[in-house]
Amino acid sequence: MSSDSYLQVKNVTKEFGDFTALRDVSLDVEKGEFVCFLGPSGCGKTTLLRAIAGLDIQTMGTIIQDGRDISDLPPSERDFGIVFQSYALFPNLTVANNVGFGLIGSGKSRAQINAQVQALLKQVGLPEQGNKYPSQLSGGQQQRVALARALATEPNLLLLDEPLSALDAKVRVHLRGQLKELQRSLGLTTIMVTHDQEEALNLADRIVVLSQGRIEQVGTPIEIYAQPANAFVADFVGEMNFIDARKIDNGHISIGEIRLAAEAAHLNGSDRVIAAIRPEDVQVQSAEATPNNFDVDVRHIEFCGAYLRATLGDRRLGDVSFRADLSMNLVRRLQVHQGGRLTIAMPPERLRVYPAN
Amino acid sequence: MAVLAQHDLQITRRRVQPKPARDEVWQRGLIVVIIAYLFFGLVMPLAMVFTKSLQTYAFYPEQVTIAFQMPDGSHAEPRSLQDWLDDSGAEANDGLRASERTRIQIVRIIPKNARADVESFRVTDLSADGGQLLIDGVPSEAGQSYDVPRAQLGKVQVRPQVSYGLGNYGYYFSQPSLFNSILNSFIIAMIVVVIVVPLAFGYAYGIMRTRMRGKAFFRLAATVPVLVPSLLPAIGLIYLFGNQGILTPLLMGQSIYGPIGIVMASVFFTFPHAMIIMIVALSTSDQRLYEASEVLGASKWRTFWVVTIPGARYGLISAAFVVFTLVLTDFGVPKVVGGDFNMLALDIYKQVIGQQNFQVGAVVSMVLLVPAVVAFAVDRIVSRRQVAIMSAKAVPFQPEHNPRLDSAMLILCSVVAVFILGILAMCQFAALARFWPYNLTPGLSHYDFSKVDGGGWGAYFNSLKLAVLVSTIGAAIVFLGANMVEKARGFQIGRTILQFLSMMPMAIPGMVLGLAYIFFFNDPANPLHFLYGTMAILVINTSIHLWTVSHLTASTALKQMDKEFEAVAMSLKQPFWRMLSRVSAPVCLPAISEIWLYYFVNAMTTVSAVVFLYSPQTQLASIAVLNMDDAGDIAPAAAMGMMIFYTNALVRILYSLATGRLMGRLQAWRHR
Repeated sequence: MSSDSYLQVKNVTKEFGDFTALRDVSLDVEKGEFVCFLGPSGCGKTTLLRAIAGLDIQTMGTIIQDGRDISDLPPSERDFGIVFQSYALFPNLTVANNVGFGLIGSGKSRAQINAQVQALLKQVGLPEQGNKYPSQLSGGQQQRVALARALATEPNLLLLDEPLSALDAKVRVHLRGQLKELQRSLGLTTIMVTHDQEEALNLADRIVVLSQGRIEQVGTPIEIYAQPANAFVADFVGEMNFIDARKIDNGHISIGEIRLAAEAAHLNGSDRVIAAIRPEDVQVQSAEATPNNFDVDVRHIEFCGAYLRATLGDRRLGDVSFRADLSMNLVRRLQVHQGGRLTIAMPPERLRVYPAN
Repeated sequence: MAVLAQHDLQITRRRVQPKPARDEVWQRGLIVVIIAYLFFGLVMPLAMVFTKSLQTYAFYPEQVTIAFQMPDGSHAEPRSLQDWLDDSGAEANDGLRASERTRIQIVRIIPKNARADVESFRVTDLSADGGQLLIDGVPSEAGQSYDVPRAQLGKVQVRPQVSYGLGNYGYYFSQPSLFNSILNSFIIAMIVVVIVVPLAFGYAYGIMRTRMRGKAFFRLAATVPVLVPSLLPAIGLIYLFGNQGILTPLLMGQSIYGPIGIVMASVFFTFPHAMIIMIVALSTSDQRLYEASEVLGASKWRTFWVVTIPGARYGLISAAFVVFTLVLTDFGVPKVVGGDFNMLALDIYKQVIGQQNFQVGAVVSMVLLVPAVVAFAVDRIVSRRQVAIMSAKAVPFQPEHNPRLDSAMLILCSVVAVFILGILAMCQFAALARFWPYNLTPGLSHYDFSKVDGGGWGAYFNSLKLAVLVSTIGAAIVFLGANMVEKARGFQIGRTILQFLSMMPMAIPGMVLGLAYIFFFNDPANPLHFLYGTMAILVINTSIHLWTVSHLTASTALKQMDKEFEAVAMSLKQPFWRMLSRVSAPVCLPAISEIWLYYFVNAMTTVSAVVFLYSPQTQLASIAVLNMDDAGDIAPAAAMGMMIFYTNALVRILYSLATGRLMGRLQAWRHR
């Protein structure tokens, strides 16, 4: 952690009565970065966002923004723009008046405000909608009005509280792209709360995975996906096979009778561990040439469109089975079918080992 | 390094004390101001009622001595007034209970012949605290003697002294005439509940659950009584069933003056309240439950008892308590048509206005407060449950055609509507008839209020002024207060207190609040005394008397707004008043105008609280009805009552037009 990060969250704890929503959370966000808070509902991601905004000030801990300690400041004395899941557009004001709401009393003339509002509406792709009321717009349009309103005061930090969750799938994907482009062009430091892993992986420069008020892992989308720090992250982000295993030594584990090479030095002593591998990382093509290969039965096959999900197992593995995603191309070439045999490999660099709980 | 890190850790582990925003000073200030308004307009006066109910007054004639001046200028041996009373065998104040304002002249204690030749008297106040005597209106000082010439002796009065205890309560419960009022009030209130609640249920059932004709008309007809003071149906009943009434034979010798009249008039004025509650209760039902019941093979009758009644049970309970409290705390009806049948609320009036016995009035108030508070508590609990049974997935009930049920309900609703409109029509007829019952040609002579007591047209215009002031000021303060309770940032204590104080007025009967105001504002030592007898005190009293319903209306509307609006406004650096004036108030305009109308209509009709507070300059139309009726000018009283009706009906119609048209323009955003 460098001490000159744009936003520094230090040891933040938030209690609501007896319930602790955040436990000693620390985090740095760099200028211009797009950070996603990802986690299941109730993990504390929104609480952390609201603490940064000053809407629900933390019980303990410090928050520093741009070198200024803002820990105890009310929202009105902090520097941020915010978009909520509900958008919270003022229903009785036109789109233009919603966007211009933050500019009232800023010392700007009416003409200046109007020009700025028009520019903002153009920026979010709604140049002709200024005279309409929010209820006359679609959900996606409302979302963009809320974004334009948040950007109107030219904040240096943009906070997004599940801004895309209320939209249907297609609009969501479309807006996601727009949002990312806008953020990059403005170079605006952005924090977005989401429970949608795909959204987080797609948008974020870095992802903060939270669970039960604690940070589980901070990393780039690729790090989070490829090297989940613990079983929770591995399970929450993407698909994952968890297989009961034993640690043999720092470089080896065994599943049933099968001995596999895997990095296990981080686990001390205990021999019961959990091996984890993503279904798409189970290697079938040229498996014989890859370490950690062994033969399995194809127990079940499930068609999933672009790929095929096979449930695999073997007498020597013991009472376990796991899934592998195979491309249709591969399936045709190797003639994979239910009840057949298959040679697969679990590449050591893809196989992760976590402590058994 | 290690020391530094430790230090750093301590700083971050410290509890954060949020700093208030710049505009929060104003928010808190506003909350404090509104709390102060309710504190001085509600809490303090009520505390005075409690204090007064504990005050007892008694004479201490042994504390005052009087010495006769001898012809040689010296004084004879002083004798106490008690000695004089013993001589004559009389008792102080003839053995009657003294009250705050009772006075005894010394000349009434010492027989005339005993003081025939005495030129001057020396009176001495022996008490430790003084004040036993009033000499020409000035209280005596402790241990001081005063020489009074013969001609002035009539101006020397003995004054009773205050002490605190439960004496008034003992007196109250030992007096059958007072104590019986409790029983009377409870019995009458129960009878009215038993009549009104099933009737209102049936009426609402007809409107909500059948396909009978004329639903809109029946709905409107049932709400008419809200527009008139409760005195008016009582006057109508006198014309219908009084000694010269047109339907008197129907009573078969029974008098309308007494329980019969009270019950009938109470049914009239409580009916709309019960009906509105029942309409709401019956509107929350779920079509799916009825379908399920039918699929399971239940009969219509069984479905009614298993689905309809349980679905409306909270409404039934709530309506019963509301009606019970309304009857118990109303004083207009028994005043006009009660004859010598005593009721609790009327006792307060009689004790205070008739006998100037404030302490006993305070005791009756405390007695009246108990059932009112209980009913209020039950109503609050029940209405919370009512919300909980509504589910978002409920399918609105669609009534089926059922000719027999439809006609039965049509008959029931028609009977009720005829009863309500008949009484009102009778009042109108009486107000126009030149000389009841001998000359029934219509004329406007009874609308010339200058010939009768009550303040005339001035009273009417005072009422208009009061209604406009109360509705405008009240709606503004109540909405501000509710906005602060719902939306302000921080200051939890202040907001909780304000919420509590906002709920209180509903539990306080108008008579009690009015009496409380006399005690509090009529005390010359109170810096707020200058308000007494002004229009301002009527505005304050009425705005607080009707506070709770208005507050609940405003809160409900505010709660329906997105709870993140304030967060957005803060992030945009906009102060709360801009949020309030540009968003919250415009969005809640329908609720605000509803509050305005509620205040207006009730300010026009209210009697109970203001009857203690009006002055010759601030007479009101509703009070004029009361006073004209009291003076026997019943026709002008009916005319004035009808004036209130026309006004409220007109405002109601204008309101409907305004909400239809003006809202259409201002609230364009509601339409897609």
